Amino acid sequence: MLKKLLVLALFLSAGSAGAELKPEPLGRVETLPVPYPPHWVIAHDAAFHHMLDGKFILLDAESPQPGRLIKGTFNGSFVGHFAQSAARKEFYVSETFFSRGSRGERTDVVTIYDMATLAPKDEILLPGAKRGNMIPGRYNLHVTNDGSLLLSYNFNPATSISVIDIDAKRVVNEITLPSCALAYPTGKRGFSSLCGNGGMVSFQLDKQGQVASQQRFDPFFDVDKDALFEKPAIINGVGYFPTFQGYMQEIDFNGDLAKVGRRWDMLSKDERAANWRPGGLQLTAADGAGRMYVIMHPDGHEGTHKDGGPEVWVYDVKKRARVQRIELKNWGISVEVTQDKEPLMLIINPESMTVDVYTAKTGEYRHTLGDFGQETPLLLHAVR
Amino acid sequence: MNWLDHLVERCTRRIAQSTSRRSFLTRLGTALVGGAALPLLPVARAAAGQAGGTDADPGDPTSCDYWRNCAIDGYLCACCGGTTTTCPPGTEMSAITWIGTCRNPADGKDYIISYNDCCGKTSCGTCLCQRNESDRPVYRPHTANDYNWCIGTKSAVYHCTVTVNIGLATGAS
Repeated sequence: MLKKLLVLALFLSAGSAGAELKPEPLGRVETLPVPYPPHWVIAHDAAFHHMLDGKFILLDAESPQPGRLIKGTFNGSFVGHFAQSAARKEFYVSETFFSRGSRGERTDVVTIYDMATLAPKDEILLPGAKRGNMIPGRYNLHVTNDGSLLLSYNFNPATSISVIDIDAKRVVNEITLPSCALAYPTGKRGFSSLCGNGGMVSFQLDKQGQVASQQRFDPFFDVDKDALFEKPAIINGVGYFPTFQGYMQEIDFNGDLAKVGRRWDMLSKDERAANWRPGGLQLTAADGAGRMYVIMHPDGHEGTHKDGGPEVWVYDVKKRARVQRIELKNWGISVEVTQDKEPLMLIINPESMTVDVYTAKTGEYRHTLGDFGQETPLLLHAVR
Repeated sequence: MNWLDHLVERCTRRIAQSTSRRSFLTRLGTALVGGAALPLLPVARAAAGQAGGTDADPGDPTSCDYWRNCAIDGYLCACCGGTTTTCPPGTEMSAITWIGTCRNPADGKDYIISYNDCCGKTSCGTCLCQRNESDRPVYRPHTANDYNWCIGTKSAVYHCTVTVNIGLATGAS
């Protein structure tokens, strides 16, 4: 027994000597694995109370614990807009700076971030001081489907699209829009925009970013009576645009020019009688399997279209039918869904400005992401 | 006061709709479909003066519930050193803007409200209010409150928003 105790004492003393901390190297900075794990998401925080200091916060949606949740951040000045290219391993942020902080000469740029370092690696000047400064959405800044051009929406208040050659890192064209807005990727290298008269325009571009073909569509929706939300989910090239009154308008963006598709009812007769309606800031999302998620609220009426809601309804867009109804733990204002085979559904809670995470397939609440330096994270971007 | 708290609060609140507003919007929509290349933008010139808190113009201008705020998205200038119709000192009022059509509970009439942004200083930071009656998506700018309307001003930096009555929506009197 005594021998055993002596051996134990020797072992413990040797152990404590071995635990002495070694000096550590200085100057090390983390880098990130690219592609990212599929459950990482980007919280887009416009910092509404101090817009010159907006930021994007990369989160691991599986890990609410401090120390594991935040993977890194990057900035977006004066309500930046966001796009990403997995092929180029880059993020793009269109932003605005003033030479004297909140005043002075205005400069608009697209800043290019390296996904591995989250450091700015280049920037592209946007001339004309006309970058659309507005509540962020998914179609203010977008990479064309062939990956070659970046499209940036302008508003001054004339509307246009700046066409940026990503390789050349410069604006190569500006396409004036006839009172239309935003850019939905169309065909190989084109885009389409919804218009104030209830119509649409569609453009296909050549490699140089010049207009190769275009079409102007007659009005196909009534902006006053039942406007299309400008925030569709695009699934297999087809845009699914909810309307204020709860119909779904399909627009096919697969060809060189858009095609107006079918319109179908999102609601049953009883649901319509209860005034269930879509609503929210970013009210739609789609998973990798093509299921569409829409935030819904009851008792809807004029003016409730940005209110968000207590439920998410999931649609099989091929069958044009709802397949799931998810009651949210907390009221939601924006939704995003990860793109993997076991997707997470993420909901922004407007009261606490936190993110509730659900298992998308079952609708089961998992946990809440909070305390990640956020203030007004208006929308989320899954890695695509 | 939290901006989005108002959203939740509002979800239980119904606000009466107006036939005359719809008529007005229909007419405006018709004008737009007429083929203008640019949006038909109202140009509002704010007159100095306080509003609200009277028999004819009831309510608290610093409250999100004040009737003129029916389509606003921003900080109420009445809380920020200005009034419902004037910008705070040292800012500049944008001349182009979006509009809403709001019913005055005192006379039951619908008024066109011009939501001019005051520009040149960073966010006021208090009395943030978002209400969306007659708001439409950004593809129809003149009724879209998602834009920063500090356009054509010396600085594009947004500070707060005034609510200027520019006339009856019906034009009947």
